[in-house]
Amino acid sequence: MQYMKVAFCQIRALVKLSFVELWRRNDIFALVLLGLALMAPLSMASPFGAEGASRYLDETALLLVWGFSVFVALGAGQRLFPPEFESRTIYPLLAKPISRGRLLVGKYVGAVAASWSALAFFYVLFVASVLLRGGAFAAELPQAVVLHFAFVALAVAVSLLGSLLLTASANLTLSALVLVGMFFFGRRLPEYAEGLGPALSWVVKAVYALAPHAEFFDMRQRLVHGWGAVDGIVFAAVLLYAAVYVAALLSAASVVLWRKRL
Amino acid sequence: MKGVPASLCEVQTRLAGLVWCFCLSLTVLLAQLLPAGGSDSLPQVAKGEGAIAVAFGDARATIGRACVHKADSYFHGGIDMECKHLGEQDGHEDCHDEHDHDGHGHGRGEATQGSFDPWRWINSHVRAPDVHRHLGGGEAVEMMPWFWASVKADPRNIDAWTTAWYIANNMMKDKELALRVVAEGLGKNPDDPELLVCRGRTLCDHGRRDEAAVREAFRAAVESADRIVLRGNGSPDERIVQARDFAQAYLDKMAKKGERR
Repeated sequence: MQYMKVAFCQIRALVKLSFVELWRRNDIFALVLLGLALMAPLSMASPFGAEGASRYLDETALLLVWGFSVFVALGAGQRLFPPEFESRTIYPLLAKPISRGRLLVGKYVGAVAASWSALAFFYVLFVASVLLRGGAFAAELPQAVVLHFAFVALAVAVSLLGSLLLTASANLTLSALVLVGMFFFGRRLPEYAEGLGPALSWVVKAVYALAPHAEFFDMRQRLVHGWGAVDGIVFAAVLLYAAVYVAALLSAASVVLWRKRL
Repeated sequence: MKGVPASLCEVQTRLAGLVWCFCLSLTVLLAQLLPAGGSDSLPQVAKGEGAIAVAFGDARATIGRACVHKADSYFHGGIDMECKHLGEQDGHEDCHDEHDHDGHGHGRGEATQGSFDPWRWINSHVRAPDVHRHLGGGEAVEMMPWFWASVKADPRNIDAWTTAWYIANNMMKDKELALRVVAEGLGKNPDDPELLVCRGRTLCDHGRRDEAAVREAFRAAVESADRIVLRGNGSPDERIVQARDFAQAYLDKMAKKGERR
């Protein structure tokens, strides 16, 4: 019982630290301003003088929310360990005493919670913009938000593992390429593989099997065009996919951290 | 700089500044002189006006087509379709049974595969609606922003103009909007026969009393098409010929009606 209490306190402290770190930076406010700067002219446009079109605004706003969430999640994942190594604050942290595994989980949970808070803030703004335009609260929205949260957890894990293996710029570039690439082209990879030679086709198929399928979490079209909610089994399968993938990435990160010479 | 006298650093800085000024002047001079030598031989010179034309150059056509494709997906309730629909306005309903819904349509894809692919199964359920719906009536206005973006990117995309007109005229039944689309299109593409035919059809469909205006629009279309055919040395675009035949058929029909009266 005492052990659990200590672990909880330690993880809570790490989560609080990640929260403060993310919100103290002005990234999120800069992103919100950027979003406003992009959305304001779009919302004022009336194509050919026709009134009443709103789906393009919803789609653009959701795309921005997705883009911003990737930016925040990858940044949060990247900032977990390298600054601690560089400034050597990892030593007092590990001397608390706190195990490397608990440090990893605590920092990961903190980064995910902080990214989720930013994402929730973006969604509040999105819903407010929809309501201001006279739109209605979509029934699919809670499901879409939950899947998006799951994606953010996955993106933080990808970035966290990358931060332990690569330099900051390489990790951010590679993680962004993989996630954005899979988001837009992941579902088409089998089609691309069919038109390639045997060796390249095998590589593409391997990427399709192993790379994180960011597109699973994308319910933008459902929200924009009112397709309705995803079937419960499929929804659960996507969440399970995210959980398994995150667990695998964190296990790999823990092995890397364990073997790392500090 | 360590070990280098301050005066030498100053000279280097000034020299660098002079070199930059010289390069900048040379760039401006070249930018002014080269187009005068023949703008057609310089693809980097933007044809058209506005910041979009300057920024994107010939990529505008691709952006324009992408926007039309997006509008097409909006027509199908957000699903990317393989075949062109909105471009083929007439007979558009006929090819519905033949679509490939991007591997995730009504058939949900997985049935056609030899082995079960869980990723495809998830994708087909997350990214495809249960019911195939088309935008119609007033809802069709949702497509207009994409056509607007398309013609902003590439004002010479006549397909985008005529499809936007078709949506306003035939789907939304909004005569004013249809005429505005055609007027804007003709502003960017003066005397285009297809757009003139569109104007004639709108006037014919929604303003039957103004026969003179209808006749004038179709006559302008025929004359414009004839001019283009003459300029093309006898090998005109099939669409121009079709627009001409269409306008002429309308004119003949109206003439027959007049004789009967």
